[in-house]
Amino acid sequence: MKISLIGFGNLGQGLTKVLDEKRNYLKEKSGVQLDIVSVVDSGGAVVNEEGIDIGELSEASGSEDSVSEIMEDGELGTSALEVVKNVDSDIMVELTPTSIEDGEPGLTHITEAMNRGKHVVTANKGPLVVAFDELKELEESSGLEFKYSATVGGAIPVLGLAESQMSGDSISEIQGVLNGTTNYILTRMTEENVPFDVVLSEAQELGIAEEDPTLDIEGIDTAAKMTILANSLLDRSVKLEDVDVEGITRIGQEVTQLAKDSGNEVRLVGIASSEKLEVSPKLVPSDNPLVVQGSLNSVTLKTDLAREMTITGFGAGPRETSSALLGDIVDIYKSVEG
Amino acid sequence: MRARIEMELDDTPGQLVKVLDPISKYGANIQNVVHKREELTPLGKVPVTVILEVTEKERLDKILEEVKKVGARITRVGEQEKAVKAVMLLVGKIIETDIRDSVERLNKIDGAKISDLTLAFGDSEGKSSARVIIWATTQDSLQKAVSKLKEVAKEKDLLIIEPLEGFE
Repeated sequence: MKISLIGFGNLGQGLTKVLDEKRNYLKEKSGVQLDIVSVVDSGGAVVNEEGIDIGELSEASGSEDSVSEIMEDGELGTSALEVVKNVDSDIMVELTPTSIEDGEPGLTHITEAMNRGKHVVTANKGPLVVAFDELKELEESSGLEFKYSATVGGAIPVLGLAESQMSGDSISEIQGVLNGTTNYILTRMTEENVPFDVVLSEAQELGIAEEDPTLDIEGIDTAAKMTILANSLLDRSVKLEDVDVEGITRIGQEVTQLAKDSGNEVRLVGIASSEKLEVSPKLVPSDNPLVVQGSLNSVTLKTDLAREMTITGFGAGPRETSSALLGDIVDIYKSVEG
Repeated sequence: MRARIEMELDDTPGQLVKVLDPISKYGANIQNVVHKREELTPLGKVPVTVILEVTEKERLDKILEEVKKVGARITRVGEQEKAVKAVMLLVGKIIETDIRDSVERLNKIDGAKISDLTLAFGDSEGKSSARVIIWATTQDSLQKAVSKLKEVAKEKDLLIIEPLEGFE
């Protein structure tokens, strides 16, 4: 299958490395042969309809320069949109930076790709929090596959679990600890009794928190993920602005200690049900499976048959997220070829 | 929820342990046991009162069933059968926004009372946090108290951190 890679940042490079490493494994296990026919970043593109040498492309990761400057047949200045419109491929993997304001440029890339008959896999939350219904309609009318497992919980297969393995269950509520940065901060404050800003700079030094952590600590990243979960699994029709959000910026170390002394921990939890859609710090009993440590993520589904199901895992990181991206790609391969 | 169970046991050694066993087996938290050997009933039984806390009604029912099985006669499942509790945290300028007024307004709710209030000071000036435990005789009173607390918090710009699963 021919893959078009849109965006060559952390996630794009991570996926390339994994595709390089797992080429034989995928072929033997699932019979999938995946060729990257184009890759594009903000500086330009590399296109080869026969398949770009993935080994070479993998070596091009980590550089400050555009992939179009490093690779031999690079086309400086070619835009992502041009690639989406002009390069023939089966699956477009959209990994450009997220904009929660208007979903762009991802939204245009995804729409244009589907309009041209390409399946889409993305890790980009932006398009889904501003235009979920429109994208789902496009998927339906086009008969193509549109998959976005990597947008929620990184490697945690919560969407796949709910949509396929638990497809007979009605989900009444979803509770999610879906932001590694805030969970790391809360865990450290609870365990070490250190102030918020000290832990935040520690997290920034470790690369767990971004230089501008606003979206994380104000709960907006979690709200975006809850929006996607509510739309996908609860059949709701909501946008990011519909979520009641309170982040963790008011939580001091003394708050985490008061919680701890009563057998609880403070966690930033997203809750979605038919009535509720909110993100806020909650008092969670220490033995609740949602209380995960460090930058881990965890999601609980409350359903009529299984009752409660919690899955925990790594919610971020290029390699971990590749697990979800690759899962979606192989799924599409199986439904198209199988 | 908190329950007060009154029962009568045979006046022979080992009876009390037999009764307490199922209580701990089902994960109840025993808060108080009163064993009145000096007040034997006309039939020669020993009255025993146990106050315990359980997470849900089903556990209490199970405990009552097991206690009956080991030979105790349950005379009353006390008034606190429906007693419910809420633990919440408040963050903001708790003291500066007149903590006394906050407590008094909550305690005015019929059937609800603040049973514990623990204060902690933050690192920036004027910032403090509190852990509040409210006990109420009914779920309804508890809801009223929680709503009142929310109203007070909103007025005084305090952040409330609620339990994930609502109130017991």
